[in-house]
Amino acid sequence: MPRRLHRNSPLLSRTSRRRFLQGSAAALAGVGLSNCGRTVGGEAETAPAEADGAVADKASGELRIYTWADYTDDELAKQFTEATGIDVKIDVYDSNETMLAKLQAGGGDSYSLIYPSDYMVTEMIGLGMLTELDKSRLVGLDKMREKWASPVYDSENSHSIPFSWGTTGLLYNSEVLTTPPTDWEYLWDNREILARKMTMLDDVRETMGAVLSSLGYSYNATDPAEIEAAYEKLLDLKPSLASFKSFGWQDELLSGDLLLSMVYSVEGIPVSLENPTFKYVIPESGSSVWTDTIAIPTSAPNVDAAYEWMNFNLQPRVSAETVERLFFATPNGEAMAMISEDLLNNKNLFPPEDLLAKGEGIAPVGEANALYDEYWTKVTSA
Amino acid sequence: MAQGVSPAGALKSAPANAGQKIRAILRPLGLLGPPGVWLVLMMVLPTLLIGELSLVPGLRPGQPIEGYGLLNYLRILEPTYLRVLQRSAMFATGTTVLCLVLGFPVAYWLALKAPKRWRNFLLVLFILPLWTSSLLRTYAWITLLRPSGVINLVLSSVGLPTQNLMNTHWAVYIGMTYSFLPYMVLILYASLERLDLRLLEAAADLGANPRLVFWRITVPQTLPGIAAGCLLVFVTSLGDFVVPTLLGGPTSMTISRLIYNQFLGVARNWGFGSALSMVLILMVSMAIALLLKYGDRNPEIYS
Repeated sequence: MPRRLHRNSPLLSRTSRRRFLQGSAAALAGVGLSNCGRTVGGEAETAPAEADGAVADKASGELRIYTWADYTDDELAKQFTEATGIDVKIDVYDSNETMLAKLQAGGGDSYSLIYPSDYMVTEMIGLGMLTELDKSRLVGLDKMREKWASPVYDSENSHSIPFSWGTTGLLYNSEVLTTPPTDWEYLWDNREILARKMTMLDDVRETMGAVLSSLGYSYNATDPAEIEAAYEKLLDLKPSLASFKSFGWQDELLSGDLLLSMVYSVEGIPVSLENPTFKYVIPESGSSVWTDTIAIPTSAPNVDAAYEWMNFNLQPRVSAETVERLFFATPNGEAMAMISEDLLNNKNLFPPEDLLAKGEGIAPVGEANALYDEYWTKVTSA
Repeated sequence: MAQGVSPAGALKSAPANAGQKIRAILRPLGLLGPPGVWLVLMMVLPTLLIGELSLVPGLRPGQPIEGYGLLNYLRILEPTYLRVLQRSAMFATGTTVLCLVLGFPVAYWLALKAPKRWRNFLLVLFILPLWTSSLLRTYAWITLLRPSGVINLVLSSVGLPTQNLMNTHWAVYIGMTYSFLPYMVLILYASLERLDLRLLEAAADLGANPRLVFWRITVPQTLPGIAAGCLLVFVTSLGDFVVPTLLGGPTSMTISRLIYNQFLGVARNWGFGSALSMVLILMVSMAIALLLKYGDRNPEIYS
């Protein structure tokens, strides 16, 4: 599931492309490194392989982080190094699955920290790939807002700390679309105006989830009949879609070639702040509310530095500053007070509670994954 | 060999002969060794590994291998996946034909008609686009093809109706043909440059009109080049990932995208992904086998 490619400004689309390249290279590396034995990509057997590297890392006091692009900027790393004397090295990935594949293939043993999303946390705990956190070493985890105090994907935050959250919604050209979209159904109702001028995410669970939600089902439906109904409904809309795109829609939207794109809030909100013609809206019937976390893989070297980094990011001031720079919402209750009024009042960045309550986190669906993938192949090849 | 006549000489030269023999064995080994080791480690072993994984039904990473079977291959025969294979083959075939039709006149002109001292320079100009990343060049096509893009700007300024080619199969053909045309031209150029011009003159002397000369003399003589160029374009476009992803719109699932989804998508079905990879390898191998069978013989018949 190719997921968010974060960027600060729509004018930086070239950077985003380079990141796509990096992401692809990382993906290739992940596949290339899969020199697996009898158990394919068994994380346990690969763990001791780079023990030497782990010792070297510890000695040099270097912290290697594997994260989403734009989740940790130079400023954050600089402040951390100044505060602790630990050097930070950052590699980026463009989807949870890429990260998982690289770790499973044994190519991620040098990372002390990863940033899995909610459903991936659950999945990785199930695979035994995340270290259980020693709460006595963490300061400030009790300041999380209620929703993240004991999240569904990882109860009691036992293996991960929530870092950021956001929604998935519609970014549209308000000059052309004079009746503003309010819900997913808008895409079907206005398919003539939007014909080949709208995109949905190239992300099975998000796009199928949105259709499921528009039908009144759960984002995490496992009932084959419900998934099939969503498939039929998406297939019906497909002739009117320009493409399934998770990245690279910015230029086309700004030039008017696209009128509406389904986007992640971290990408949509910066565009709407920079150019008021474009508005971001969270669908009324509910959208996906995703959380990205910080976690320590079981193969991690330099765990001490990893805890330092977690504690550093748990500080309300640091968290608030990151929100101001990178435009995602923080789960940190105390940080909220330090965020500028403008951003705090941005209903898209911090949606009201009732809208948030309708949102759903994408959760692992187990065996149904195969079904989602099958229908996705059908939609994109029919 | 002559030394073998006298028994004494044979005795004396025995060690020397053995040494020569060893050297005769070692010399090609020394030359072939490094690439051989590289090929075995980076090509043969991974392919065998993929072959093994493809025989494990529904294999997911982190799971133990429980049993072998052909279920992954049977699944490819489902209509959904056959349609994906068919689309990939269609994209590749169309691209190959377009490259040949567009590339042949260019290569012909470069090799036979262009001023001699400009030839190398013109050839370099033609290969120049290959110096930039194919990803960037594909992004450039978005700028050209989209509704408010350069092509429509030109069309509307001369009063022609605009075309919305972006996110259609035509965009994929255009993008892939653009990407792989230089390879075709390069190979055809090498082939046409060696064309024996005396044969063309002789044919003309004997009364053949230019069209007949072209079809009976030029084309048969360059057939190996045409076959090699077509093969290269077909094979590379069959496995292309970037162009269909960026330009193809909502209905552009190809085999390489499907393989990507099996390894890095939600399903994470490495067994099925491996089976698809083996099918892709098989399709490419078949194309190469066809080249070996038909590519090289024809010139001998005609020359």
